[in-house]
Amino acid sequence: MSLSIAGMSWVTPLGSDVDDVWQRLLAGETAPVEILENEENGARYLVRRVPANTPFPAHSRLRRASAISRFAAAAGLAALAEVKLPPSLDRIALVFAVSNGGVVYTRRFYSEIVKSGAQSASPLLFPETVFNAPASHLAAILGINGASYTVVGDGAVGILALKLAEDLLASDDLDFCLVVSAEEIDPLVCEAYRQWRFLRNPSKPTGRGMIMSEGAGAVLLERPDESIPSAAAHASAARIEQIVPGRNFFRRSEAAAELGAVVARLENGIGFGVGSANGTFIGRAERAAVGNKLPLYSPKIALGESVGASVLWQLIAAAQALKTGTLPGGLELPANSPALVLACGLNQQTGGLTLRLRQRE
Amino acid sequence: MNSRKQDPRRVAVVAAGIVSPLGFGLTETLQSLRQGRDCVTPVAAFPVDKTRCKTAAQIDDERLLNRAQRSRRARRLHRASHMVITALAELLEDAPGFPPEIAIVGTTSGGMSFGENFYRTLGNGNGCSAALIANYPPQKQIVDAMEKFGMNVPAEVIANACASGTNAIGHAFNAIRAGRYQRILAGGYDALSELVFVGFDSLQAATPEKCRPFDSNRSGMVLGEGAALFALEELESARSRGAEILGEIIGYGISTDNHHLTQPNPDGSGPRRAMEQALAQAKLTPDQVGYINAHGTATILNDSAEGKAIMELFGDVPVSSTKSMMGHSLGAAGAIEAAVTLLALQYQFLPPNINFRESDLSLNVVANEAHEAQFNCAVSNSFGFGGTNATIVFRKFAR
Repeated sequence: MSLSIAGMSWVTPLGSDVDDVWQRLLAGETAPVEILENEENGARYLVRRVPANTPFPAHSRLRRASAISRFAAAAGLAALAEVKLPPSLDRIALVFAVSNGGVVYTRRFYSEIVKSGAQSASPLLFPETVFNAPASHLAAILGINGASYTVVGDGAVGILALKLAEDLLASDDLDFCLVVSAEEIDPLVCEAYRQWRFLRNPSKPTGRGMIMSEGAGAVLLERPDESIPSAAAHASAARIEQIVPGRNFFRRSEAAAELGAVVARLENGIGFGVGSANGTFIGRAERAAVGNKLPLYSPKIALGESVGASVLWQLIAAAQALKTGTLPGGLELPANSPALVLACGLNQQTGGLTLRLRQRE
Repeated sequence: MNSRKQDPRRVAVVAAGIVSPLGFGLTETLQSLRQGRDCVTPVAAFPVDKTRCKTAAQIDDERLLNRAQRSRRARRLHRASHMVITALAELLEDAPGFPPEIAIVGTTSGGMSFGENFYRTLGNGNGCSAALIANYPPQKQIVDAMEKFGMNVPAEVIANACASGTNAIGHAFNAIRAGRYQRILAGGYDALSELVFVGFDSLQAATPEKCRPFDSNRSGMVLGEGAALFALEELESARSRGAEILGEIIGYGISTDNHHLTQPNPDGSGPRRAMEQALAQAKLTPDQVGYINAHGTATILNDSAEGKAIMELFGDVPVSSTKSMMGHSLGAAGAIEAAVTLLALQYQFLPPNINFRESDLSLNVVANEAHEAQFNCAVSNSFGFGGTNATIVFRKFAR
């Protein structure tokens, strides 16, 4: 089913304005890297953080919420604001993609248990540790009281969230689906990836391995339908043609084959790809899956690995590339060719989608 | 969900698998339900000397892990993976070679206790096993189970707190109903963990006493754990290959209550909307429902809001919360209770709400003992943090 992108937004370490961040990526900028230290064991990590001066919505539900909820709210509201005619709240669903979730509060909460005893654990922190807490805050801020789903997975989870949204929009009951993905940085997550040997060594800042980042992405999907008079008002740049959640790779050596199977199920004639290469085995697997000729760009090289948030960053980057006709690195793109968004997580999941420039109605 | 392109498809449950404190498999589960077995025992997996609540309904590790292969790889997997493997093994016994196009499952915390162990290794200065990290994420357990049985389809993992399992089954139902898929593996899983146990204790939502859903003197929940999976298939497809049909799913409702992150609106409007939606989709009137498997956590707030919604919508339809026997298994709860509801329909009995004495709510509670009953349709409710509410409606399959 073809889905129009009626609005899109992101919160990234390079900024939160879609066009501005894209121009900076085209100019070859990368998000600043800083050092994050783990108080538990003294380990240090390279990270790319959302700038401290990023404006976030003011709402009572966000007063005690963790950064992930603020990122999500900012991106979600901005994506909705792109629609000229606001959708009716009872005809919009919310789908949220996340991987590590509210890990800052989760670590703090468990730290209290370990260090001070269970009797000291904070009842204020615990509810924020739940995976669907950011979605709940966003639903409350927007006033959505219908369907809300939080989907969890690895770096490919965004594809599964988009597929769930597509399935929801097969229904007469909905016109729009707001898909939001978000992630926040915490030393605990960095340490996990370090011990898993995926992180870049701080003493070798240009070496192999990934740099963790944080932020959010949001796309407002609309089912194109002539019977909905408002549809033409939501003209946007791109539409998703096909979403293919992939099979799981049980060994890393199988990743390329599973990604190749995803690509084989997508339409022919793809002009370029936006992949999920992050300095680990994923880049090689994706290249092997698409072959050597297809231009393949990964925003993770400039923005960092935001895990659950990353697929929507890739999707927005692909939409911007279609709109501007160029990719970072100065590569001019063939006109009227669809874009491929390819996603491979670190923990077995894969998927992909194709995207086309949409003619304004 | 109404498909705009075609008439809605009917959705059959063609196989199921379950492991919970009530037992390993549907047969043991059925026996425990009929006996009204209280499965709550003292927690041994982590210290509970500083919590109010000291009990939970737990799956016997000796039995769970004995069932798993004693291979090096299997030993690295989380208990939750072994629960999902156990449930999938039973499902595939009844539906060998069931070829799902996608797995849609619910969980709240996946392999959380591996995450806890990982955190503890940071504090003691020792390195940690990469297996703790690799096997912790919430999608890993269903992927492990699929790998074990040579199955490999995309895993869509829904984490809608305590409604996750029902949301997964409900969404899978809608996806088949709309013609998006023919066969889906759906369900939920969760294993007990210290973080979550202490979390509910910190909120004073867990009880130091017996779990008494809908009782006037209810004082909170006890936690549980487990997994349940269902092979869902478009009815005509199932019929054409001669599959045994355990029951039909005919309705699903989902709503979000924005009242508070952890507390339902006391007016019961969130649960009521989910139940009304599910009934409307099922084309049923409330009096056509013969049994309600309630969310019924035994917390003051849940039971009064849910009880109010049920009273207003259903009147005196028999209600029970089987959490009184097997605790609240969070992301698995909706799936396990779907299996309970399906068993109740198949075997025409009302599972009991044990530890029940009296109620301030005018509900027709199935108090303490199972009863024989004749009914064709039953409802299962699940509600969760974040204000998520989900209801599914089952119908006895008439050949």
